[in-house]
Amino acid sequence: VPTEPLTRPGGDGDGPSKPDVKRPDTNELLKRMRRVDPEQARRYRQRSGE
Amino acid sequence: VNRLLGIETEYGLYVEGRGVADQVLEAVGLLRCCPFPAVKERWDYRLEDPRRDMRGFRVEHLSVDPQDAQIEREHPISLSEREARCDHVLTSGARLYNDHAHPEYATPECRRLMDLLAYDKAGEQILLSCARAYQEKIGATVKLYKNNTDYHGSSYGTHESYLLRREVPFDTLASTMTPFLTTRLIYAGAGKVGVEVNPNPRTPYQISQRADFYMDTMNVETLYRRPIFNTRDEPHARMRDYRRLHVICGDANMSEYATALKVGTTALVLDLLEDGWAIDLFIVDPVRAAQSISRDPDGKWLVETDAGVMNAIDLQRRYLQAAQQRFAGRDAETDWTLREWETVLNLLETDPELLGDRIDWIAKRQLLSLFAESEGVALDDPAMIALDLAYHDIDPLEGLYYALVEQGRMQTLVSPEAVQHAVEHPPADTRAAIRGLCVQRYPKQVESINWERIILRNDEQSVRLDLSQLTGDLRDLNRRLTAATDITEFVNLLQSPRRASEPHKEELR
Repeated sequence: VPTEPLTRPGGDGDGPSKPDVKRPDTNELLKRMRRVDPEQARRYRQRSGE
Repeated sequence: VNRLLGIETEYGLYVEGRGVADQVLEAVGLLRCCPFPAVKERWDYRLEDPRRDMRGFRVEHLSVDPQDAQIEREHPISLSEREARCDHVLTSGARLYNDHAHPEYATPECRRLMDLLAYDKAGEQILLSCARAYQEKIGATVKLYKNNTDYHGSSYGTHESYLLRREVPFDTLASTMTPFLTTRLIYAGAGKVGVEVNPNPRTPYQISQRADFYMDTMNVETLYRRPIFNTRDEPHARMRDYRRLHVICGDANMSEYATALKVGTTALVLDLLEDGWAIDLFIVDPVRAAQSISRDPDGKWLVETDAGVMNAIDLQRRYLQAAQQRFAGRDAETDWTLREWETVLNLLETDPELLGDRIDWIAKRQLLSLFAESEGVALDDPAMIALDLAYHDIDPLEGLYYALVEQGRMQTLVSPEAVQHAVEHPPADTRAAIRGLCVQRYPKQVESINWERIILRNDEQSVRLDLSQLTGDLRDLNRRLTAATDITEFVNLLQSPRRASEPHKEELR
């Protein structure tokens, strides 16, 4: 269990970095998204919980 | 953060070829595949009373979702209540069980944000292990989603628990927490494609998963007519000293940063209340305000208060400024929360897209926009709901949130090693360690177990261990318990005259 408290805004570096969704390496993200079965949400039915 | 904290998450469960009528049996099947050591089916329900209301009464019954009640009537199951609950208490002190057909993981009690994050993420790993084992056993695809909706009108919860002193008057607690919780979703929302209640076709994407399901400002319900402020009076600690704020209106966050900010800010507002501060305004219609904010992600988030119309960001700033004045410099986690709270509110006002590396609803929307642009589909295309769901898939090889993490696009706050440790080890400084030690060392002697009481069998006698007063920093006591050489010494340490009468100074806040 971590014993050091949070001392930074999180992650490495000096602070939050600006995300850029148009970076060239979005190909990997798109590949992962294309693998998602578009029918999964239609099939996904749940009992109501708390 | 000087109070006991916890998060309980009901996971969405998909088993290929099975429907909602099978969901209880599937949840039980999955939990029975739990590969971790546990005390099973001995949860002690005798101290639980979910119908007790903080307003000083007890309701006759709790409301149920009519559609869900119909499923239950038409598809009765053959399991006993105990079998259906399938309770597990883990060596970490966490609880794992079936709650209304959803595998639920409740973190052990934590006193630090970093610990809570580690245990929350450990819950994902534990349930993923269960799912993989169950999938192998039945030969069908099993998936778990850490979200709060099936996008067809059924919701399930992610609840937060915060222990606080009972001397904070109920009216002050409710009137100060309600505007805070109503507007907190601007940074705590997990994002959702579409609207499930009173659908508005002009709202393709909203901030919160859960806001559609708010029906009341305040009540004791959790299954139906869900409120923003839940009044359940079940402290899981000594009743005369404590309340537990049971927050049921929140979303399941995948982002560690969002979880830390959500819990850190809520804990600070409770610190303010315990310090005698209270907000001096109220929102005229909190349910309508929350839904209006949620359904207008690019809007001005205006809410009507008794003091006039106000922006949700400025309302949050009232809490932030009060906390800054009183608590700045108190400790590292407080300073982190104050700094990030201010940063996030400022960026929400000026350039919210910069928060795409830490706030779930913004990260998810950027991901969906990327796909929409690339594939030439609209943001409200039905395929987007599948992507929304996939964001919450807890399998790192499949989930879209984890694709962002893998590419370094999300800020993470806890190390994989800390999460791995949290799977089987309890926090060092809370009563969860006592529970965890009992499970690890004396599983056969545990007669019953819950958050505040453990009954052990020792020397042909039942010994009751009362944890209800052990709410402070227990690091020292836990070290002594860990060093105990047998169950008699362990029990004696917890039942010494000092322990039995009142908590030691070190264990109080």
